[in-house]
Amino acid sequence: MNRVRNTKLILWLISGFAAAIALNRFIFGLGVTTNLNDRTPWGLWIGFDVMGGVALAAGGFVITAIFYIMKREEFHPLVKPAVLTAFLGYVAVVFSLLIDLGLPWNIWHMIIYWNPHSPLFEVGWCVMLYTTVLFLEFSPVPLENFSRYARIRNFLMKYRFVFVLLGIMLSTLHQSSLGSLFLIMPFKLYPLWYTSILPIEFFISAIALGLMMITFESLLSHWIYRRKPETDIIAKLCRAVVWVLLTYFLVKMIDIIVEDKFAMIFNGSWQSFLFITELLISTIIPAILFAVPKFSRNSKVQWTGSIMVIVGVVLNRIDIGGLAMLGATGDSYTPMWTEIFISLGIISVAALVFLFAIEHFNVWDIQPKEPDALPHTLPSFDYSSKTWLGNPDVSSLTTHSLAFVVSFAVGMFLIPGSRLHSKGIENVKVNPASGFDTLFINGNRDDRFVKFPHQAHIAWLKDHNVSLSISYGNNELSINSIDSCQACHHLSLPLEKQSNCWQCHSSMYTKTNFFNHDWHAAKSGANLRCKDCHTPAETRSLRSAKKCTTCHPSYKFAAEVKNGKEKFYALSYTDAMHDLCVSCHAAESKKLKDKPNLARCTTCHKTYPEGSNGLPESLAAGLKWKINPPKFNNVILPEEKLVK
Amino acid sequence: MSKGILTDVTKCIGCLQCVSACKEVHHLEADEPRIWQKNDGLSAENWTSIITKPGNRFIRKQCRHCLEPACASVCPVGALHKTKIGAVVYDSSKCLGCRYCMMACPFGIPRYDWDKIVPHVEKCILCYDKIKDGEQPACTQACPQKATIFGERSELLKIAHQRIKENPGKYINKVWGEHEAGGTSVLYLSDIDLGFLSYPTNIGNKPLPDKTKTAMESVPFAFVGMGGVMLGLNWIIRRRMEFAKDENKKKDSADE
Repeated sequence: MNRVRNTKLILWLISGFAAAIALNRFIFGLGVTTNLNDRTPWGLWIGFDVMGGVALAAGGFVITAIFYIMKREEFHPLVKPAVLTAFLGYVAVVFSLLIDLGLPWNIWHMIIYWNPHSPLFEVGWCVMLYTTVLFLEFSPVPLENFSRYARIRNFLMKYRFVFVLLGIMLSTLHQSSLGSLFLIMPFKLYPLWYTSILPIEFFISAIALGLMMITFESLLSHWIYRRKPETDIIAKLCRAVVWVLLTYFLVKMIDIIVEDKFAMIFNGSWQSFLFITELLISTIIPAILFAVPKFSRNSKVQWTGSIMVIVGVVLNRIDIGGLAMLGATGDSYTPMWTEIFISLGIISVAALVFLFAIEHFNVWDIQPKEPDALPHTLPSFDYSSKTWLGNPDVSSLTTHSLAFVVSFAVGMFLIPGSRLHSKGIENVKVNPASGFDTLFINGNRDDRFVKFPHQAHIAWLKDHNVSLSISYGNNELSINSIDSCQACHHLSLPLEKQSNCWQCHSSMYTKTNFFNHDWHAAKSGANLRCKDCHTPAETRSLRSAKKCTTCHPSYKFAAEVKNGKEKFYALSYTDAMHDLCVSCHAAESKKLKDKPNLARCTTCHKTYPEGSNGLPESLAAGLKWKINPPKFNNVILPEEKLVK
Repeated sequence: MSKGILTDVTKCIGCLQCVSACKEVHHLEADEPRIWQKNDGLSAENWTSIITKPGNRFIRKQCRHCLEPACASVCPVGALHKTKIGAVVYDSSKCLGCRYCMMACPFGIPRYDWDKIVPHVEKCILCYDKIKDGEQPACTQACPQKATIFGERSELLKIAHQRIKENPGKYINKVWGEHEAGGTSVLYLSDIDLGFLSYPTNIGNKPLPDKTKTAMESVPFAFVGMGGVMLGLNWIIRRRMEFAKDENKKKDSADE
């Protein structure tokens, strides 16, 4: 098994998939490609990618502090890969931000518009500067391969200590300021996490995570390239992390006890379980494991412990970034699979760049080689069969590019088109109106019903000879026969004189197809054969079919449906009703000087106090029987849950 | 010179004239329920809404225009700011879409154009264009019951307390917005508890931006301090290493 090639293959597959999703996110907007909503405007991308990502990249400043400031020369083999990981981590964070931001092309605005009160402003600046510093710190390594740039490299090497110092200072700021981001939300964040020393907790846990990230990254890359891990150096890191974790634990516990929240840890709510789990994984268990000297030298324990700290601290970031807020917001946000794959995709791309860098530059003391990346050892011509095998340089790359393209295609295929094109509008089924002559139209049952006195409208139309001109999609539907029912009931179902609006306009906010093909073909329905409607010897499609009006001459369609250019769609209930009512009301309100409000929303949509029948006196006088507005019990405002 | 709005819940009949006037003035489109809306009626197309509560209570929800707004303090580019006249206004040309304002608002007001490819934050701006010319906002203008009125915040507070005094037992003795989160420009008088207008706990009476102030003020000190600590540490360790070297040399020479 070729570990390197398979790892890369998986990474390429994920990144192709994520690229497809990212493309859709930019074409269709955030709303339909994520589960983010008005109550949870920050989701997985902020909690994991940005907050977790910055914390995961803490290895860079930790290792440079150990190596350059504390002069521990034995850690030298870990420095370059850790700085590279940090640099790639920060670039990944910036890319996740670009995907998450609503207006990513405005990200540079932070440079010119300043708001120093904002923790995010500070984090933004620090991330920008630190990414640059990391770039300068790492660039001597690739520059080694190009003797032409020796002067630049010497310059960078000369001032490396300055960069390192600046890097540590900047990291201190933004690692802690990521915690400050949430200081302003005591009302949202669960009290177990919320504390005014969040910045300090963030900084300490970032150091612990940084140490463990160096460990994990070293173990993993050595596993992939089948090298012997640097167990002895790593053991020192593992012993160091015990002290950091202990400090973190003590600070956290003292704060919780001082703020009198200790009992909350055991109050049995889901948040308390989450808190205990997080603390166990991130701090307690790894600290105990590494405290035993025998264990800290064991590479299996090193694997387990480092993974636990990484998962635990990242979980802490996710909790603070949103998970521990769900109780207060009353939301049930779970990341959509697209969000998860974008996160995975960004990690994959960063990992691929990391693997590329260690194969091509002197990141490690002994540069590893991918077996496939040695073209001169592969044959390009098979002499026995006399076939050209292709340029081996290219053929080694084809598998990976193919994986990318295929998974990109699969990604494009899997994203539900119905959701992408829905603009987030829910498919609400229309409820039929209730009442007798006066209809109480309340299609979506939101208790803001429209009263429609049918007879009064007929009388008005007869008396005033109104000609309707309804805007119907992009087309106009003119109805002149004002004294016929067809003025409004423009398309009645067979054997019915006046079909109800909701029978075709069956969805509250979305277009629906009203043509029931199966009914027309069924024996119990219209009992038609194919050739009755479709021209024989042509593909049976909408184009080859008869127009509806051939059989139903009384139907009035919009021009685009009539000409067969559009499918048989019915406008959404609201659109249809608004087109019909408002167009007429708007025209009339201009004519009638005494009724300026005729076309305003609230003239028709009203919320009536309980008990009143809500009728204006003028209308009530014309009615023969008393009306009680129907009562609807299923109106539940979500706020009720919060109020108790 | 800080304007505000006083809404008297007991007077509101839920006629939605304010909602409809707001839509007209700001050219907002018809509202359709979207998957990302969380049903308090507010949305990108609805900057104010009426919440119906049992017992014929209609409560108008809108931006509270805090005296020290959390949204404005957290915006990294200052796209939101509190104007002198009282309105918290939004500059879409600065915004970069981080949605921190939506996270920080204790009343859960700002809404987002989730469906748009160029999305912006949407919220009530107290009809800033109108009030700076001396007019009143569209909503208070449209209210047929004078349930929601516009004026100087200090005078509205006086009116509110006067109403409580004149009608003993009618109202809960509290003006919502007088102290919460450091005070808001939009005030409420009510006979039912209006706690549901904000997140239930921990809003407090102190301005929320104060919570980050200490952390943000210590930033320069942390920056310089960390630099100093690191340099000092480096200096000590180097000196130690030099001493160790010297001693090794001495030992070596002594051995010889």
